[in-house]
Amino acid sequence: MSQDQDLTLRIRRYDPSTGRSWLQEYRVRAGGILRFTDLLRKINTEQDPTLAWNSSCEHGQCGSCAVRVNGKPLLACELLVENAVKEFGTKEFLIEPITVGPVVRDLVVDLEVAYRRVEGMKPFIIRPRENPYGEGEYRIDPKEMDPYVDATRCINCFCCATACISGPRSFVGPNAIMSCVVRLLDPREDAKAERFKLLHGPNGVAHCHTSKACSHVCPKEIDVAHFVRLAKSLRLKEKA
Amino acid sequence: MGNEWKISEVISCDVLILGAGGAGLRCAAEILEKRLGCRVIAVTKVSHPQKSHTSTAQGGLAAVDPKDPVDKPIYHMFDTWKGSDCMADQNVVKRIVEAGWEEILWLENRGMHFSRDVDGKLARRTFGGHTLNFGETSAYRAVFEADRTGKGIMDTLWGEVIKRGISFIHQSMATELLFNGDRCVGAVVFSPKSGKFTAIRAKATVLAMGGCGQVFKITTNCRQNTGDHLALAVETGLPVMDPEAVQFHPTGIVGPGILASETLRSVGGILRNKDLEAFMERYAPKMKELAPRDLVARAIETEIREGRGILNPSHGIEHVWIDLRHLPEHVHKTQIPEVASFFKKFVNVDTRTELCPIRPSNHYHMGGIPTNEDGQVLKGPNDRVSGLFAIGECACASFHGFNRLGTNSLLELITMGRFAAQKAMEDLDQELPPLPPDAGSRTFEKFSSYFAGHSKVTVGSLRERMKAVMTEKVGVFRNEQGIKEAISLLEELKEEAQKCGLRSRDLLMNQELVERWELDNLLTSAMLIAQGALHRRESRGGHFREDFPERRSEFDRHTLVYMEQFGKVRIDWKPVDMTLYEEGGPYAEKFGMIERKY
Ligand SMILES: Cc1cc2nc3c(=O)[nH]c(=O)nc-3n(C[C@H](O)[C@H](O)[C@H](O)COP(=O)(O)OP(=O)(O)OC[C@H]3O[C@@H](n4cnc5c(N)ncnc54)[C@H](O)[C@@H]3O)c2cc1C
Ligand code: SF4
Ligand code: SF4
Ligand code: FES
Repeated sequence: MSQDQDLTLRIRRYDPSTGRSWLQEYRVRAGGILRFTDLLRKINTEQDPTLAWNSSCEHGQCGSCAVRVNGKPLLACELLVENAVKEFGTKEFLIEPITVGPVVRDLVVDLEVAYRRVEGMKPFIIRPRENPYGEGEYRIDPKEMDPYVDATRCINCFCCATACISGPRSFVGPNAIMSCVVRLLDPREDAKAERFKLLHGPNGVAHCHTSKACSHVCPKEIDVAHFVRLAKSLRLKEKA
Repeated sequence: MGNEWKISEVISCDVLILGAGGAGLRCAAEILEKRLGCRVIAVTKVSHPQKSHTSTAQGGLAAVDPKDPVDKPIYHMFDTWKGSDCMADQNVVKRIVEAGWEEILWLENRGMHFSRDVDGKLARRTFGGHTLNFGETSAYRAVFEADRTGKGIMDTLWGEVIKRGISFIHQSMATELLFNGDRCVGAVVFSPKSGKFTAIRAKATVLAMGGCGQVFKITTNCRQNTGDHLALAVETGLPVMDPEAVQFHPTGIVGPGILASETLRSVGGILRNKDLEAFMERYAPKMKELAPRDLVARAIETEIREGRGILNPSHGIEHVWIDLRHLPEHVHKTQIPEVASFFKKFVNVDTRTELCPIRPSNHYHMGGIPTNEDGQVLKGPNDRVSGLFAIGECACASFHGFNRLGTNSLLELITMGRFAAQKAMEDLDQELPPLPPDAGSRTFEKFSSYFAGHSKVTVGSLRERMKAVMTEKVGVFRNEQGIKEAISLLEELKEEAQKCGLRSRDLLMNQELVERWELDNLLTSAMLIAQGALHRRESRGGHFREDFPERRSEFDRHTLVYMEQFGKVRIDWKPVDMTLYEEGGPYAEKFGMIERKY
């Protein structure tokens, strides 16, 4: 069974009413299978109710709780104390907000602009292809779905976008690209040309430097870089 | 205090949707699709609608394809009725079941990535309680998107509504419903990101705010499910229906409460107590682990109550074990890979070599704001509130009665979302009545009082005490004495909360302030659940009274609880709709007050 651990959490704080930003240290004694979201709640209840942080499902399914722990973007609700100690080889953790949007307070990031980049890639069927089967469902062979189904698992936690060396100023980000690739491959989408245009627009795939940082951090273990690369290569094929 | 207690802005729209989960977004999508140019605003407490709790639903979505050679809508209606322990309203059951398949096609045609069979058609799976021919054999009735059906629905709906120009207000919460005379004319919304209060005027207001699972210590529900809707309703004099009808899933992973699916028991998992005794043999000698959900949940809780549980040192929660070590490697790999990965990820346990900690986890609220079959909110047994709708888990139509079948909630969201939209559209040509002059006053009174307290006790510690008492006294087991003890503790906690002093003093993203407000809503929800449980002196579905262990026919009726002031309740009753029974026909007798035996 897991043992209690004495941890030091240094948390990046920001107060919007004064504009002040600082690092605050908390010492927490916690059981090995507590998750980092549990730790933050524990700090609120036992030490400092003013610390603000984000989460929702706390089941690793919604992507609300992404933070950087010792520089690595990850889901706080999936990080167990004992795993963190093992993986990072320390009991001291620097916790900072993700970098895809402005910080509202402490670890809470405003996701409006980040999501707007995804929405710009039109995460819906732009123009449905006529259904050859008439009224009912489209028929899609599971084999036809294989190439893109993994990309549909993305929960928009923006860990990949945080890790991406091509920043959000010039690049829409790997998850946004992926949402467009899904519909490019989905047989129900008719607006393929528009999809190519979106992918190769001014903030599009050209900004990817194939570093694969995105795949490396994705908590859903999606090979994000593969899909970004796919978007590039599909372009080549189209030209040919 | 320098905080400004005023409405910063008044916005007008046609339809205001409070809550952007599956129910809210389906409603929005219908209106935007059918009425071009209609102004729809949706408010969500999370940072983006995609983060709503519907996104975590895994298993599937039940619906009968009218072309199916073996399954029939009438079987689905029967299963729902039987599962509900004869408390679902049959007019609602009929309407939802008959509309189900159309909704599946609606989603599929708009890009939902349903899992497919080899012919490329929608694949289907079985689920507990869904049968063919009135209980004969399991029905393959649930369509699904792998283990992320709810997410598939949310992604599709989100895409559709942004395509058609919805306006979202993210990370904000409705704090007050606004009325002009008897008509609902909108709501006050607080946005922590800006620290501002907005009044939104609307011709129709739709409540789609989800559940209240945070009332309990162990729950599958998200952090935002704090029963805000129940508080909003009772504060304006509206009743809550069947609040005591709460569902507990027998096997939640301790401590995060994550669902460990029934499959664990069906593949041969054995429940063990601290002495490693396979205790189900004592409770259900024949069925053992395969006994129905509620029986298994009670067996586990009994073991824990009688001191045969194990204390988890990290979470401080008592639990029992499920033993999967004897199962062959291929079962771990092919039949339970997801749950096995949850155990690994969230408690660092290897299902192949270690015992896994589980305990019943609060899962779903069958009770909620009473509505008719169009989602129109009721203020009495038959009295409608004009301009106000409620749909999804926050509502009680009642499709689930006292026990919800797996996969029936997602079905309810999308069908009721559409019905409410259709009804709301009938009245959109009317003029928009003005807001009441005191709009916001109730919110300001509350919020400013939160800054007045001075005691050192934290919101979090009060919340933990509420969760503990509700889990222990108004959870899987209930009895009169325990419920009364819980009620008096809730009253005490309410008083302590009023004295609680907040450390964060401004309105900007003040998490402590939001949680303080949520604590009020949680205490209200807890009180409603406890009061409903106290007055229902019988056992039915998810509601089990040790002092009245049988179902009793004088309680073949819904509870209505009114509570304008905390703890001061008025109880009323509403008959169960028996349309299917009363219409007669060859299957009428299946829809009488039948026994719920499996
Ligand atoms: C782990 C899990 C698995 C499940 N699996 C299944 C399944 O397989 N099949 C099935 O049928 N059902 C399943 N369910 C049940 C089902 O998912 C839920 O009942 C359903 O998703 C609720 O949907 P909703 O739209 O009513 O609410 P939610 O999706 O919870 O949405 C509520 C919305 O309201 C917002 N909100 C809340 N309070 C406020 C406020 N004060 N102001 C403004 N907005 C507010 C929230 O932010 C959110 O946007 C599962 C549930 C869980 C927890
Ligand atoms: S691709 Fe992975 S890391 Fe990126 S947003 Fe999606 S889930 Fe998160
Ligand atoms: S591979 Fe491309 S998208 Fe992925 S992190 Fe590197 S630059 Fe970013
Ligand atoms: S809170 Fe949902 S993924 Fe962590």
